[in-house]
Amino acid sequence: MEAIANVMPEVIETKPAPTYINGSHALMKALLAEGVETIFGYPGGAIMPVYDALYDYQDQLNHILVRHEQGAGHAAEGYARVTGRAGVCLVTSGPGATNLVTAIADALIDSTPLVCIVGQVAKKLLGTDAFQEADVMGVTMPITKWNYQITDANEVPEIISKAFYIAQSGRPGPVLIDITKSAQLELMTKDFVYEKCQTLISYRPRLVPKQEQVEAAAQLINAAKRPYILVGHGVQIAKAEDELKAFAEKTGIPIATTLLGQSTIPTNHPLYVGWLGMHGNYGPNVMTDHADVIIAIGMRFDDRVTGDASKYIKQAKVVHIEIDPAEIDKIIRADVPVVGDAKAALNALLPLVKPNDHTVWRNEFRKYDAVENETITVPELTNTNGKIRMAEVIDMLSTKTKGESILVTDVGQHQMMASRYYQFRRPNSLVTSGGMGTMGFALPAAFGAQVGAPDRQVVAIIGDGCFQMTLQELGTIVQNKQPVKAIILNNNFLGMVRQWQQLFHERRYSFVELQNPDFITIAKGFGMAGQTCTERDNLSDALDTMLNHDGPFLLEVIVEKEENVFPMVPAGASVAQIRLK
Amino acid sequence: MTTYTICIFTENTIGLLNRITIIFTRRRINIESLTVSETERKGISRFTIVIKHESREEVEKLVRQIRKIVEVLAVFGYLNDEIVYNEIALFKISTSLGTKSLDVETINKQYKAWVVYWGLDYVVIEKTGNDTEIFEVFAYLKQYEILEFVRSGRVAVGKTEKGLVEYLPEAEWESYM
Ligand SMILES: Cc1ncc(C[n+]2csc(CCOP(=O)(O)OP(=O)(O)O)c2C)c(N)n1
Repeated sequence: MEAIANVMPEVIETKPAPTYINGSHALMKALLAEGVETIFGYPGGAIMPVYDALYDYQDQLNHILVRHEQGAGHAAEGYARVTGRAGVCLVTSGPGATNLVTAIADALIDSTPLVCIVGQVAKKLLGTDAFQEADVMGVTMPITKWNYQITDANEVPEIISKAFYIAQSGRPGPVLIDITKSAQLELMTKDFVYEKCQTLISYRPRLVPKQEQVEAAAQLINAAKRPYILVGHGVQIAKAEDELKAFAEKTGIPIATTLLGQSTIPTNHPLYVGWLGMHGNYGPNVMTDHADVIIAIGMRFDDRVTGDASKYIKQAKVVHIEIDPAEIDKIIRADVPVVGDAKAALNALLPLVKPNDHTVWRNEFRKYDAVENETITVPELTNTNGKIRMAEVIDMLSTKTKGESILVTDVGQHQMMASRYYQFRRPNSLVTSGGMGTMGFALPAAFGAQVGAPDRQVVAIIGDGCFQMTLQELGTIVQNKQPVKAIILNNNFLGMVRQWQQLFHERRYSFVELQNPDFITIAKGFGMAGQTCTERDNLSDALDTMLNHDGPFLLEVIVEKEENVFPMVPAGASVAQIRLK
Repeated sequence: MTTYTICIFTENTIGLLNRITIIFTRRRINIESLTVSETERKGISRFTIVIKHESREEVEKLVRQIRKIVEVLAVFGYLNDEIVYNEIALFKISTSLGTKSLDVETINKQYKAWVVYWGLDYVVIEKTGNDTEIFEVFAYLKQYEILEFVRSGRVAVGKTEKGLVEYLPEAEWESYM
């Protein structure tokens, strides 16, 4: 005993026990470091350790339990669209992940930043067809901007910071992180250190365009007799609304927008001429064939905009301002590509363009407006025969909300009518599924938009078909006390498909009539207030009741059964072949 | 149809082959051959992919879509006369009793092919060259019993003086070495 005591030093040096955290806690810390406030998710076996960690972070991270993973995805999209920040989804492996796939694809094509965190079976089970194992990496590879499988807890901080950087920079898009259950559970073997990713060796989006491209663009614009600005979603993504306005006002050039470009500029701005595409306005479509210089900003010449691309703007020189170089010359050849962020590009262009007003040219649009007004708009708004029309509902909503609402639409006739008749006043006010045209988008996306923009009025416009694809999210809305207003425009048909059948398939109405449930009873079942409006005379009161209701509200409006959306560029036709009836 | 050789420099990560080939598949472009290996820089791989296509414009679009992949550092599309390229072929020829005896001299001198392995009753002949040269050797060797024949994908270097590697952002490569 004595001998041992003699050799013992007086002070025994001890190291503190390591306090390494597991992968799930690392994930929580990483999300907080990215400033994430809200997660849309749904638990399950392969993501349980993360949910367990989440329990400790409830006061810092607001997790919203949706009713279906597709709902989590669309809600995150709605959130991302109105905030400009990545929406975050958290789901389990296998069916949880595959349920999310539609929303991921939707986000990719509409350049919406998402960070989807998906559970995966333990590392040693990978590739064994284990319970709830699906090859989510393989499935999502073509529909993500980037995806990565974490199999080691130590990877968490670096990969999450990369995920947010990639999702939110350049042309935004969805990123998926597949994380094995073992990586969620195992301890990191080093301290948690989080560095925000700023740059990657192989991925470097060009923000500031090359000066020579800007100069060439300015030259073309200054020499143009009939210049025309086509604005896409990219302008709002770049938050370049003010720059666009300044550019257009200095040069006097008329602006049309794509579907997703709407609300970039107030609908009543004197330079705004309307929207483009299959169901866009008459003048803006026809006039693309008259312009001598097209300035396309943050748009990708979708086939719904160009119609037959081989006949599109053959007469015009094209300046294409775009952050994604792969979009240049993809559909339409650009005479002057300007690769960069819309805000940076417009700022660079602004001092180089000459003041102008182009009054004569601009007035040419008005002739077409008059025709459209007379043949379509006025009759749709004033014809008091028959049932309520979709146009009246949107028009009245627009007036009552002063164009200040965020409008979230589903897909179909009601989507096009909402776009036609809502008079947007503020940017980032139209949330719709453009590129994918995903039915079921609106209800969850409206919820997400409301979470992202709690101070704004959010109104969803939904078809009776679309509503039945994700109506379970009523439960999410009620549980989270979000004052979303939803309007079902009920025509008892899959209206847009019926319209095509009427026009192009000799009225052979093949499987488009719906036997609908009592929507208001369903809403009440979820604990949500609602009412149905069938008579024109009650519409105004019904809208007031909805808008003044404290909390979420479902308004069902029974509309004309066989109404069509015009103008219309038939699929595969050139924009000049736009039909008024 | 014109033959294009597409050289892609990427980070060496799991799944990238899939991400790249999906881009071809989705556009219904058939891959004639594909070779991948790590370059002289650790962590950086080089893909050499050969395709045939009617439209140069479509190939340019394809190249831009490939460049969009986050882990891709650089992509180059070449016509045949812009590169030096080769493949390797191996022929396994039966030398068992009763088969025709091999004329090694002709194989060496005329076809620039070499016996690289002697088995008990077979030899392996290696031929390096472009596909035409390789199939000339094939035609010649058909008179013997060919037990196995295999051909690699194409490897290629650009004819520009500096070489493709110079186009990469070298300054940042240190962290990868
Ligand atoms: C998931 C999905 N399935 C099918 C379609 C095809 N589609 C486009 S519009 C539409 C009809 C939508 O009907 P409804 O929601 O009632 O709206 P309406 O056109 O009557 O306004 C359909 C089936 C789609 N866009 N998305």
